[in-house]
Amino acid sequence: MQDRRSLVLVAPAFAWLTAFMVVPCLLILALAFFRRGLYGGIDYEFTFENFAMVLDPLYARIFLKSAWIAGLAALIAAVVGYAAAYAIASMPRHRQPALLFFAILPFWSNYLVRTYAWIVLLNREGLIVGIARALGFSGEMPQMLYTEGAVVLGLVYNYLPFVILAAYAPLSRLNPEISEASRDLGAGRWTTFRRVVLPITLPGVATGFVFVFVLSIGNFVTPALLGGGQFQMIGNLVYDQFLSANDWPFGSALSMVLIAVMLVLLTAQTFANERASTGRQSAEPVDG
Amino acid sequence: MTSLLSIRHVEKHFGRVRAVNGVSLDIRENEFFALLGSSGSGKTTLLRMLAGFETLSGGQILLNGRDISNVPPNHRPVNLMFQSYALFPHMTVAQNIAYGLEMEKLPRAEIRARVDEILGTIQLSALAARKPEQLSGGQRQRVALARALVKRPQLLLLDEPLGALDKKLRSEMQLELKRIQHQFGITFIIVTHDQEEALVMADRIAILQHGELVQCAPPREVYEHPATRFAAEFIGVMNVFPVQRDGMRLTAADGSLIHASIPEGLGAEIVAAVRPERLRLDAETCDNRLSGRIIATAYHGLDLQVHVATPAMAKPMVCRVTADAAEARNFRAGDLLTLGWNSADTRLFAA
Repeated sequence: MQDRRSLVLVAPAFAWLTAFMVVPCLLILALAFFRRGLYGGIDYEFTFENFAMVLDPLYARIFLKSAWIAGLAALIAAVVGYAAAYAIASMPRHRQPALLFFAILPFWSNYLVRTYAWIVLLNREGLIVGIARALGFSGEMPQMLYTEGAVVLGLVYNYLPFVILAAYAPLSRLNPEISEASRDLGAGRWTTFRRVVLPITLPGVATGFVFVFVLSIGNFVTPALLGGGQFQMIGNLVYDQFLSANDWPFGSALSMVLIAVMLVLLTAQTFANERASTGRQSAEPVDG
Repeated sequence: MTSLLSIRHVEKHFGRVRAVNGVSLDIRENEFFALLGSSGSGKTTLLRMLAGFETLSGGQILLNGRDISNVPPNHRPVNLMFQSYALFPHMTVAQNIAYGLEMEKLPRAEIRARVDEILGTIQLSALAARKPEQLSGGQRQRVALARALVKRPQLLLLDEPLGALDKKLRSEMQLELKRIQHQFGITFIIVTHDQEEALVMADRIAILQHGELVQCAPPREVYEHPATRFAAEFIGVMNVFPVQRDGMRLTAADGSLIHASIPEGLGAEIVAAVRPERLRLDAETCDNRLSGRIIATAYHGLDLQVHVATPAMAKPMVCRVTADAAEARNFRAGDLLTLGWNSADTRLFAA
């Protein structure tokens, strides 16, 4: 009875996702197994060539670079986001909702607008250079826009709220008596954090890390705007195959590899979280 | 007797609220001491000040003559067993217990030996590798106790240690805690709102009300000679009714004479109080007597509680009749009788 009712509730969402997401995606991905037509278009002739091409050092390097940029962004976002969540969770309870609201506020503005804002800040005649000049700094200013650093900064900035939210949840649920118990047993503040608070709340940060990584590695807007014309991540490569090179089969093969990487990470994360939250369920409590 | 802990004129203000208001107490070595009060009495705040989690707004706390008022919690030879137990969920039972010893930087072998020893004492050796979530409430409680005891503190503080347990387990643990306190020879200070718990376990009880100390005495003294009307009504059941004072003459609302020794300094507004077990039914010989009518009886197994309406008191008076006496005479609602008690069992308080 219960099963049937939940099935009815799940069915519409499931049908929607299947019809409008899974099927179109599969159609596109199926192209990966065909050959590119001589003048664009597709020759329906089965092949693994496109996947072989992904392994070409030229493209493999872009894959690795994307992973590096996404990893760096995720790591910085995890550290900064955890610190912010920790600070919010340490505030008096009635102030916390407002602080969370402000932390998430940028999220509600357009992604492009937010990213363009960084161009205004970072460019050669931008706000940061202007402020430095006004403060009397007259030397050569380092190139900020169109660097790897700018791309990482843009990704961290855009996805930080994810980490803050993911880390805030376990931090706000943590019983304050647990930290007090650690202090009571002789631990200083730092040891309490390192041995008690961090291990208990780490699953939340890990979730945030994976989210930022997955969203970053496939991103093409931020690298295109903040990384400049030559800067390519996997997302840009896929974009080019579909919209300029007209090589849909290769674009599909790239996407498929990307999706596979994301699925592996998200699945691993889900399992890790499950284990962390439920522990070993097999052993039953014994009364005594 | 040497005093281990001296609490001197301790104050704690939260904004305009005086949570603890000038409390002074001396607690002896090896004593089982209870801080008793309802919620908002300041008992938990006082305990947290002893543990070092609240700063003092005034006064001093001395441990072995040393002022520890400003010593942080991790540098006090005092441990607290938290009401929620506050076990570390990511550590096993053994790791939880070892944590405090690791903080003392003891050698591994010694930590191991002491953890094993205390696991044996609390009979949890078989569960050393379990995580807290795999334990029952009673087992968690014992792990929390072991985790604090293994540090061999000079003073162990227990915040409502039995509050989360069911009734049967609670009365078992009351005796168990007393046994452990005796075995380890450590001073225990327990915070509780349960007066029965305090009576059963404690060597001395301090009753707190609105942040102030009402009375500090052994259980028997607190029960038999409460210092105020509040203490009288807070501990056990007490029949309290107003009396008229005319010089040394006391009368109940219906005009019956009440015999009792009048303490010095008592004004004109007086209430008399008598415990249910001191009341006699059909008692023509007692020097205090009231006529009444039974309105209800409540069977408690060990005894029968008889509720008697009298003209002296708005609420019915409660009398405890032993099972033997109740069998000999069949008390029924509607019966008319004479309630009596001795003047020595009468207490008088300011209303």
